[in-house]
Amino acid sequence: MSAPDASLRKALLARRVVYLLLAAAIIVTALAKIKMKVVPSPLSRQVYDRIEKLAKDKPGAPILLSFDYDPSAKEELYPMSQALLRHAFRRNLRPIVMTFWLNGVGLCKELLERTAKEAGKESGTGFVFLAYKPGGSNLLLNMGESLKGAFDKDFYGKPTEGMPALAGVASLRDIPVVVGIAAGSSTEMWIAYGRDRFGFDLAAGCTAVIAPDLYPFLQSDQLFGLLGGLRGAADYEVLIGKPDSGVGGMPAQSVAHFLIIGLILVANAHVFLRWLKRRREA
Amino acid sequence: MFYKRTIPLIIVFVTGLLAFVHEFVPHPISAAFREEMTTWFRIIGGFGMFIGVYSLLHMHTMRVRRQQAGWGYSAFVFLGAAAMIVAGIVNEPHGPLGPAPEDGTMFDWFYMNVQVPCGATIFSLLAFFMASAAFRTFRARNIEAALLLVAAVIVMFGRVPLSAMISDAFPRAADVLLECPNLAAKRGILLGVSLGAISQSLRILFGIERTYMGGGGD
Repeated sequence: MSAPDASLRKALLARRVVYLLLAAAIIVTALAKIKMKVVPSPLSRQVYDRIEKLAKDKPGAPILLSFDYDPSAKEELYPMSQALLRHAFRRNLRPIVMTFWLNGVGLCKELLERTAKEAGKESGTGFVFLAYKPGGSNLLLNMGESLKGAFDKDFYGKPTEGMPALAGVASLRDIPVVVGIAAGSSTEMWIAYGRDRFGFDLAAGCTAVIAPDLYPFLQSDQLFGLLGGLRGAADYEVLIGKPDSGVGGMPAQSVAHFLIIGLILVANAHVFLRWLKRRREA
Repeated sequence: MFYKRTIPLIIVFVTGLLAFVHEFVPHPISAAFREEMTTWFRIIGGFGMFIGVYSLLHMHTMRVRRQQAGWGYSAFVFLGAAAMIVAGIVNEPHGPLGPAPEDGTMFDWFYMNVQVPCGATIFSLLAFFMASAAFRTFRARNIEAALLLVAAVIVMFGRVPLSAMISDAFPRAADVLLECPNLAAKRGILLGVSLGAISQSLRILFGIERTYMGGGGD
């Protein structure tokens, strides 16, 4: 066996060991049903507090929730979407739900109908499901001119004109709070073409890998809060007092993070020992 | 040359200039123009979807025809696409021109029981790749690598509830890293990207950058 073959085999073996360890850690933690205390982060609390304030200051106000993701990001973003909808329904706000992702329509529909049923709300009066239309930023600009012009019908084919859930909503300017849950770059789009032009308050929810990209917008107050990854969902579930899959996923995520940190430390200890050995030999 | 180069360049220049100028003109005519133009953009975007589907299917047809490595997966693309298209067109009980598919229909079943779990599974595999990549690459070989390593460990540790159960200092340290050095770096990148986008837009507007027309300039 030549030397490169040996090192390649070693690398492949190490990779498989890492995969196996991670799978075992996640499965065992999930099966053990460990409970973990979640202390909500300030950024998640800011989202919750703003929605509470909206419900207090303007009872029955509209709130636009844009669920811009598809099934691939479901495990991270669906729980926070669910918690936000539950919060909005509980406070008798009027959620206007849409998505910029065609493949996300089915998920939105299932989630919205289920949470609305839980809260005893009906389409057209308690909420509106606008679903999807192509156009991205141009659709946003159209919504800023006329919401009912951009979406003349809801998902179920009912005309948006005269719909009780859209009473007093002519354009995005009439919506005080928007929360964009995104697996891609639609949060930046909501900031540039929505919030900065039409003046509503904007918060974001996103996958954990996107969260660091959004910190500049938090400092500039273009976002009033941020729900990052499954942890953000868990925070929100704790805040609304209804723990679900977000909180349930925290032990597995904690164990996975700890395992990765442990593996990094082991790898570095190995590098350090090799360096010591070389130094002694020299 | 006139029809292939000059006319498209004039269209790009005039449309780009109008799109730019109307932002600074608070007049009803300007607002009406914007609304009209954004509606046209959306219509063109809709056609873009057809081009995307055509391009995808064309690429996979070529792979199957040439029997390239992994062509079996390409065949599977056709199987999946055909199943969803047929289910969408049949759209029981409303038919092809009826309202959106309802719960419990074939389309809904495929979406909820095939696409949703498959999509979630593929994304979940990221955790394994990230774990393996972290194990192999986070090595403190020099000062910069050591700093990156320490920052990664603090953020990873501080972002899970278990760390807060040990001490409040861990999540706070992770927040400081995200709110200070991360923010500064991201803002720098954002400004650079924005300046690049402005310069690229001007190059396109003035016809300096012409690769979008299918050539490498002139």
